[in-house]
Amino acid sequence: MTDGRIVSPRRMPLGHSRVLGRFDGRTALVCAVVTVVITILAVLALMTGSYQLAPGQVISALAGGETGIVHEIVVEWRLPRVVAAVVFGAALGVSGAIFQSMLRNPLADPGLIGFSDGSYTGALVVLLFIDGTYLQLAGGALLGGVGTAVLVYLIAFRRGIQGFRLIVVGIGVSAMLASTNTWLILKADLDQAMSASAWNAGSLNGISWEQVLGGGVSIVLLLAVALMLSRPMRQMELGDDVAMSHGVRVGQIRLGLILVGVALTATVTAASGPIAFISLVAPQIGRRLARTAGITLPPAAFVGALLCLSADYVAQHVAPNPLPVGIITVMLGGGYLGWLLFTEARRRL
Amino acid sequence: MSIQHFCTSRPAFIRTGLAAVALIGIASAVSAQETRTIEAANGSIEIPAAPQRIATLGNTTLPFIDLGGTPIAVTAESDSDVSRLPQEQQAVYQAATILAASADEVDMEKLASLAPDLILVQVPGGEFEQIRQQLEAIAPTVFYSLDTEWKALADGIADAANTTEALSAQKAEFATRLADIQQKYGDLIADTSFVDVNRWSSSDPGTFAIADIGCSEIGRDEVGIDYPEAPEGADPLAWTSYSFEQLGELAQYDVITYPVGADGEPTEPFVPVVETNTWQALPAVASGHAIGLFCPGNNSYGAVLQYLASLDAALATLPAAE
Amino acid sequence: MAGVIAAAMLLLALLIGSMMIGSTTITPGTVWDALFNPSANIDHFAIRDFRLPRTFVGLSVGIALGLSGALIQALTRNSLADPGILGVHAGASFAVTVAVGMLGVRGIESYMWFAFAGALLVTLMVLALGSTRQGQSPVVMVLAGVCIGAVLGGFREALQLGNPDAFDAMRSWNAGSILGRPLDVLWPILPFFAAGIILAFAVSGPLNAMALGDDLAQSHGVKLTRARVLSVIAITLLAGGATAIAGPIGFVGLMVPHVARWIVGPDQRWIFAYSALLAPSLLLASDILGRVVMRPGEMPVGIITAFVGAPVLIALARRRRVSGL
Repeated sequence: MTDGRIVSPRRMPLGHSRVLGRFDGRTALVCAVVTVVITILAVLALMTGSYQLAPGQVISALAGGETGIVHEIVVEWRLPRVVAAVVFGAALGVSGAIFQSMLRNPLADPGLIGFSDGSYTGALVVLLFIDGTYLQLAGGALLGGVGTAVLVYLIAFRRGIQGFRLIVVGIGVSAMLASTNTWLILKADLDQAMSASAWNAGSLNGISWEQVLGGGVSIVLLLAVALMLSRPMRQMELGDDVAMSHGVRVGQIRLGLILVGVALTATVTAASGPIAFISLVAPQIGRRLARTAGITLPPAAFVGALLCLSADYVAQHVAPNPLPVGIITVMLGGGYLGWLLFTEARRRL
Repeated sequence: MSIQHFCTSRPAFIRTGLAAVALIGIASAVSAQETRTIEAANGSIEIPAAPQRIATLGNTTLPFIDLGGTPIAVTAESDSDVSRLPQEQQAVYQAATILAASADEVDMEKLASLAPDLILVQVPGGEFEQIRQQLEAIAPTVFYSLDTEWKALADGIADAANTTEALSAQKAEFATRLADIQQKYGDLIADTSFVDVNRWSSSDPGTFAIADIGCSEIGRDEVGIDYPEAPEGADPLAWTSYSFEQLGELAQYDVITYPVGADGEPTEPFVPVVETNTWQALPAVASGHAIGLFCPGNNSYGAVLQYLASLDAALATLPAAE
Repeated sequence: MAGVIAAAMLLLALLIGSMMIGSTTITPGTVWDALFNPSANIDHFAIRDFRLPRTFVGLSVGIALGLSGALIQALTRNSLADPGILGVHAGASFAVTVAVGMLGVRGIESYMWFAFAGALLVTLMVLALGSTRQGQSPVVMVLAGVCIGAVLGGFREALQLGNPDAFDAMRSWNAGSILGRPLDVLWPILPFFAAGIILAFAVSGPLNAMALGDDLAQSHGVKLTRARVLSVIAITLLAGGATAIAGPIGFVGLMVPHVARWIVGPDQRWIFAYSALLAPSLLLASDILGRVVMRPGEMPVGIITAFVGAPVLIALARRRRVSGL
């Protein structure tokens, strides 16, 4: 669980300027450079692993010229993992960008309204009680997360939604679910508890095409919708009034953005468990690299993909056995916050 | 996943690769070394007649080692479980490559690079489905579901791993030991009420459990000891944490059994129970009717035999005047 | 004042209840005898060895959690802050995981000191990171807490997922419980609690002034740096000590001061007084519930606190006109 919620939005240095940024040359350049780095890393990830393969074998496997275990490792194991890291990372980056832009709070994420604890409860029920398949696990996590978010929203709804009440209800419901999760883990068989715990750390270990494609298709669709909403989203950063004067239908756009943002996080969570902090870090790094005034989606997507891919590469190589990627991203997030602390926060406070 | 979906959703070059794999797969199966087919929870599996490089995942590791096997790769067992193994089995375990703490976190490339010719797996069914395709791509994989009874698991592993001779010897010893205990203590067991008390390292401090799974299940089902048992269909009694203040209620039983290590001393998690005033004041404890049992495992004959030996020795210490 | 008396009565009732109610039925007369006229029988042992310590531990841990929560909320001027955000839980559980996983340490008596030391070290780091030439910034401290917490959390999880024994021991410690802690475990922590409580009430005045803004507080003669450093020390002693004894019990430190503020308004001295009475009440009520809800089994109190506290918090949030600070 992140404790991001306690930081008051008003006191965080955000760096929103009042100028509406456009998709400028620098943004395009940043995206291009990041793409090149992603490609290099992807090649590296395809080439290296615990099973020693010559570069020639990898290339020929990709071209369909290998059989047996070599084909299996390159095409069925390494390739889907690389694709998953890139696609899921992009999805998390965009989801974070949406929430941060909308709430104008760089630490906002769907965990605030109970999504993370709820999806873990859903996953635990599937893993421990019905010993479910991968699809059931994804469904359980989705149902738990979305169900909790809706429940929190409904409980907090009283003649409209008030931000503070939403957060209090979110904390209360999350706390109960977190307790339930602790209890389930405590009572479970040790092996199952450890599997569940690895899922909750966010892991791409052993991800298959089946999992990548299921999540990937919906992510690509959602990203397209997000891109369509990105212009009104930037206008809304300047305030609802300004946006409305530009003809933006604020209410509908906001609802649409929330749905897309939650759906992106939910899809990734269902496919791989919650991979922490990318949604928090990627938009901010993207904004700094592109030097845009506010949050823009493309840099967030590309940086998210890069972060997830490199974190997964580290996760596979840093320890004797591969770690869940989420463990690396958590530390990455901690490092990012530390950096934020020393550069921005210190200067201003 | 349907094969159509699989193919249409990916680039053509992969499809070509798949077709090639299918062809080669058939070819190699025909020309490979001698094989045989066994039945397992995941279907009929064609395995080498005499597998040489066996990897064990989940609960198959210790039973396989107990049958004299030498796995090349294993998933991690807890230190406490390993420490209860006989020395030579500990050495075998430590010589194997330890892949990961749970089967679904195994680095499949590492496993593949070890080139096993047989993989034995006992994990929850859902977990197996997640890793099934990858395992089967590496080597013939035999899966045992979690509800496989320990004797059936030993049979299955011995069959797959070709260690049936060791198994027969263990079975014979088991039958002899069992008959011996029944002959010596049959009457005592018949008219004495027992309770098996335990604590594990995951137990909440200040709580204990009444064990009805693990070795006490063997004591009850094989030896006929009158241990409390959960009603049919209910959760095992062992899942309930009783606070220490309920230790007093153990007074209703004639004999209390509790876990000890190979040295006969209470296991580390159980020490806090022994240290309470309540425990020491229990009639059974005060009168020498609390006996320590060594349970190095409950899903292989070797471990069960050690448990029976400790049961035999412990029952002999009960005061005769019953 | 009437409210404080009512809260004190509630706490007293729960203290008595905690002695009376349990998984075994023992008559009030026997409880009385066990306390004041003890003999060596099993019922008396149950009262003296098990119920009495857990009641004492619940009382002291509850006070510590409530006060540390009130302190952190006053210090950060954020009514949803939790003592955990300065890294107390992260430091404690990291240290215990290392002790269990790498040093092979077992038993609450040994975990305790690792937990306390871990909490202490991490909070000191947070304090150091949060200190600039202009003084301590609560926002930077909170960020530093999240940051260190994340990094340590990653290490901790990597350690646990690679080591089944560490995982097994930690999942029980993580639940948070006041059961099975003999009084010998509590005594050495009590001086730290006492120091924390004294510090807390000593800084309550300055914190009141600081609630109106740093400049105004300074003009009233409040030494900001001293007040903040003392607050952090008090939080560490109280929350660190509580975590050392009971493991990470969440929610009490967040919810009780929050509710106390709704009852008594912004005066920290009253908030502290109410928190010190209501937090142990919540903890003891949850503990009693944990004894009966799964009878004859028990549930650790750390699991129950959220289920007792959260509905209260949610109901209040829906009923009252709430506002952030």
